[in-house]
Amino acid sequence: MRIALDRIKGIIGQLQDFYLLSFHGLVGTLRRPFYSKDLIEQMNYAGFGSLLVILLISLFIGMALSLQLSAELSRLGLKMYTGKVVGISIIREIGPVLIAVVFAGRVGSGMASELGSMVLGHQVDTLRVFGVDPVKKLVTPRILSAVAMLPVLTIIGDAVALFGAYYIAVFVSHQSGTFFWSSIRDILTYENILAGSIKPFIFGYLIACISCYMGLSTKGGAVGLRRTTTQAVVLSFIAIIVADFIMTRVLLYILGFTL
Amino acid sequence: MIEFDRVSFSYGNRLVLHELSFSVHEDERTAILGGSGDGKTTILKLIVGLLRPDSGRILINGADITEKAEDELRDIRIKFSIVFQEGALFDSLSVKENVAFPLREYTRMTEEEIDRKVRELLRRVGLEEAIGHMPEELSGGMHRRVAIMRSMAAFEPKMFLYDEPTSGLDPVSADVICKLILDLSGQGRGYIIVTHKVFDAFRLANRFMFLKGGKIVFDGDRPALLGSTIPEIRIFLRELNLDRN
Ligand SMILES: Nc1ncnc2c1ncn2[C@@H]1O[C@H](COP(=O)(O)OP(=O)(O)OP(=O)(O)O)[C@@H](O)[C@H]1O
Ligand SMILES: [Mg+2]
Repeated sequence: MRIALDRIKGIIGQLQDFYLLSFHGLVGTLRRPFYSKDLIEQMNYAGFGSLLVILLISLFIGMALSLQLSAELSRLGLKMYTGKVVGISIIREIGPVLIAVVFAGRVGSGMASELGSMVLGHQVDTLRVFGVDPVKKLVTPRILSAVAMLPVLTIIGDAVALFGAYYIAVFVSHQSGTFFWSSIRDILTYENILAGSIKPFIFGYLIACISCYMGLSTKGGAVGLRRTTTQAVVLSFIAIIVADFIMTRVLLYILGFTL
Repeated sequence: MIEFDRVSFSYGNRLVLHELSFSVHEDERTAILGGSGDGKTTILKLIVGLLRPDSGRILINGADITEKAEDELRDIRIKFSIVFQEGALFDSLSVKENVAFPLREYTRMTEEEIDRKVRELLRRVGLEEAIGHMPEELSGGMHRRVAIMRSMAAFEPKMFLYDEPTSGLDPVSADVICKLILDLSGQGRGYIIVTHKVFDAFRLANRFMFLKGGKIVFDGDRPALLGSTIPEIRIFLRELNLDRN
């Protein structure tokens, strides 16, 4: 009983710390000093560093999706809808989620392990001794870089996935290329673009906050570092999927879709 | 003057320090001895306000720091020069940028002045050539020499705090560090060194505290330490006998 109570207290305390960190990390963008060098370095790491893997994954997901749907839709005699269905799934759902998951695996784990080893090596203590706020110096640039780079990566990834889908539809499934593009153009409506482009901002924020929080709470040597890095990635995955569901629900409601 | 007044500290449920009381003058040369995990590092972090005690008071020159906010602690921290275990250089920054770090934070020096100051500090410890290196390219001893110079780059500390400055070093590198520590002190500037190496402690300190089970079980000078009957202290002292034989 005592132990269970202590655990619950501990979890509530951690949640509170997490909210505080997420809040202060964001507020740090408004108050001096600004660590612009750290921000640029982080953007470079998160953005350019992830570009290649995201290009690759998006291309293949787009192609696979197009294969599946062309096969299924041609059985129903609805092959000409391939572009539309593929486009909507990629822009509204698969693109943002998949790219966020890849981003969490690559960038989130990197953030957690880097901050974790800085904690273990007393580098974070050293920052504080020198009068530097670790949240501003370490967390704010990471949040900003994730919030800025993930949407960009998502747009690029979506485009590449659509290109992959087009390739399969036209050269493998022998559909009309102009029709494919015109159905993609049809679905590039204000609603769909909004639905797809709000998500990565939220995902980026969640990934950076979770990963920084986990990294900064590292203790207990190499084993502790392994634990926090793993937790950062797993919690980010869960947060992405759950937040995606909630946002989809809310956006569909706001945009007036009937189910 | 550092005063601990019945200070207790725990990480979660794990009690590390239990009602610790002692006081140390700025010009004293104190060694805190103790086993791994006995809370030596924790004491140093409490002194500079990186951790807050669960209960008790910590007074620096008579002012209680336990209630102070982070930005008020700045004034306390610049009185000390603290060097953490293994040096804690920022491994994303070069040696030059590491030493320049406090200069950039605390002073308004121009790029040229910073460069000159960093070179001067590094020359003092014979590492001017390493200025462009990254921390991972340095040996353990070099790492710590750079860290010591970084810790006192921006201001004149009143007291030095060293966390295991010689552990994990070969005797020759340890000797270099000891000489540096002695060289930097003086003019009323003392230090607290935390260590489990009795040999180095004897070289550097004239007051010894022994930490065990969250309490200070011994506080005295060299003859008293040598005459102590506490079993753990006798085990620690074996290192000296080995050395004599
Ligand atoms: N952040 C933390 N969370 C939980 N426990 C911790 C944390 N930091 C240290 N501890 C534990 O508190 C105890 C005291 O730690 P401290 O670092 O002060 O020991 P130490 O005497 O410096 O030991 P060492 O010789 O290993 O450096 C250790 O048992 C350690 O495992
Ligand atoms: Mg220690």
